[in-house]
Amino acid sequence: MNGRASPSNRATNSDLVLRSLSFGYIGLLIVLPIIAMVVRSLEGGLAALWADMTLPPAIYSLKLTISTALIMVAINVVTGTATAWVLVRYSFPGKNLMNALIDLPFAMPTIVTGIMLVAVYGPRSMIGGFFQRYGYEIMFNKPGIILALMFVTFPFVVRAVQPVLIEMDKDMEEAARTLGASSVTIFLRVVIPSLLPSILTGAALSFSRALGEFGSIIMVAGNIPFKTQVASVYIYGEIESYNPQGALGLSVVLLLFSFVTLMVINVLQYWSRRHEKN
Amino acid sequence: MKKSVKLIMFAAIFAVGIGEAVSAKTDEVTLIFAAYTVPKEVYQREIIPAFQKYWKEKTGQAVKFDESYEASGAQSRAIAAGLEADIAALSLEKDINRLKDGGLITHDWKDNNYKGFVTNSLTVIAYRPGNPKDIKGWEDLARQNVDVIYPSPKTSGGAMWAINAIYGAGLKMSEIKTGKKDYASARQLLKSIQKRVKVMDKSGRLAVTTFENGIGDVLVTYEDEALLRQKQGKEFPFLTPESTILIENPIALIDKNVDKHQTRKVAEAFVEFAHSKEAQRLFAQYGLRPVNEEVAREFAAKYPAPKYLFNINYLGGWNQVENEIYGKNGVWTKIIEESER
Repeated sequence: MNGRASPSNRATNSDLVLRSLSFGYIGLLIVLPIIAMVVRSLEGGLAALWADMTLPPAIYSLKLTISTALIMVAINVVTGTATAWVLVRYSFPGKNLMNALIDLPFAMPTIVTGIMLVAVYGPRSMIGGFFQRYGYEIMFNKPGIILALMFVTFPFVVRAVQPVLIEMDKDMEEAARTLGASSVTIFLRVVIPSLLPSILTGAALSFSRALGEFGSIIMVAGNIPFKTQVASVYIYGEIESYNPQGALGLSVVLLLFSFVTLMVINVLQYWSRRHEKN
Repeated sequence: MKKSVKLIMFAAIFAVGIGEAVSAKTDEVTLIFAAYTVPKEVYQREIIPAFQKYWKEKTGQAVKFDESYEASGAQSRAIAAGLEADIAALSLEKDINRLKDGGLITHDWKDNNYKGFVTNSLTVIAYRPGNPKDIKGWEDLARQNVDVIYPSPKTSGGAMWAINAIYGAGLKMSEIKTGKKDYASARQLLKSIQKRVKVMDKSGRLAVTTFENGIGDVLVTYEDEALLRQKQGKEFPFLTPESTILIENPIALIDKNVDKHQTRKVAEAFVEFAHSKEAQRLFAQYGLRPVNEEVAREFAAKYPAPKYLFNINYLGGWNQVENEIYGKNGVWTKIIEESER
């Protein structure tokens, strides 16, 4: 993405056709449904939309979604960066396999993720049974939601950080070392700052993905309003009980969050490009 | 010259082909059958094959079935949105009423000997083998050491039956004790049981799976669901509370779709067949209570009537239940909102 081809100002006819085709395609595929949803949500008026958005169970489900997503992001940022570091800086047998395994959560239907997690951590399993004996519940409670989110979004941070690490110059690290800096200092003052934009990009992507996660969560959360019901499950329930208006209210909020996250990602990428130039 | 010969030959072959297709059509007819999930086994294995045999013998016509099984509410919505089902067999009357309100059903589907219903069932309480938590009735579900499972009434018909049963039983018991319905105590019973609910799945079937995965001490479910599990050889003990709700499952042909597919005759025959003694016995063998009185008498020992049985009309009928229990200010909706604090 770096070496940008200089766009010629004089567009030929075929260029114009191609351009309008791709614009039209994206418009039909992505923009049109979004517009349709926003229009529908405004049919009942702004006041009604606001009332739907601010219903107590809707607000609770949104808070739960955001808080579990943030905890997941905090964990994934550390484990994802560490994984990328191990994959790039060390060579060991089974490295290629490990590299391939990382993408598995993307390829797997999320409902399967839910079933697997219940099998491992459910009260009938060894691990889940062990924790339950000491009064901790993993499945059908908040830890289950966080686990599901961690699983589903794991590749984002790894795959954002990995290419930057590969291209990173070791010169600076070596220079720092010759100047007497300790490994910890080098990591914190040299490596982390140059990785930061890509770490944050990965974090933003996983956050955005977590907001809408449904398939795995409906299996591992208890789905009890005011306890374990996340936004996507709330929306599903409203649709199923013939209250599309109530579902649209919270959908619009989720959409706004995704937009903001997208903008943050774009700013981060701009920042990292400038970072690279300097 | 040669070209035109080819063309004629082609046309002739084509015409024969069409003729064959048309004649095949009169020998075979397809019915689209949409039902809720719980009676899937009995329809798929028994009722439909039996009807196919019956119709073939009677008319010489083969009936092909396209079957769809979904949670009752989801199924009703799918039909309303354009799934061209000829016949709908759903869990609750209100899911059929929605199709009537939408103009898909134009006849009075309740105008028959069975008021539009095809099977009955009860809401019962399934517990763990050996009954370690000593469950005897609804009150025990409110205990602090009991975890309860039933699905979400937002998505599941079974959950609505469960909640209606608990709330109605609360009313009934208070009526027996004091002579009049005590709405506050019924609400209190529902509230204290709702507090013990651990997982709310999206359908009745999923709730059974969750329960079988080891979550919860009791599952509030359909009697036929529990009996079906027992029929499959699983250990699935359950009790029928002294007071519970009579579940009545409707069946109806969908006028707009049968007219479009020209399947009215065969669809009507299927609905009638489902009420025949033969079909009613098959239902009874799979755990559903027959609506045919004669068959019901045959199976009276298998299906004893609870002491204080009531049906949806005891709660004022579906319209009132939808408003007063599940509506914006409904009893259940408010109980959920109070659980925030």
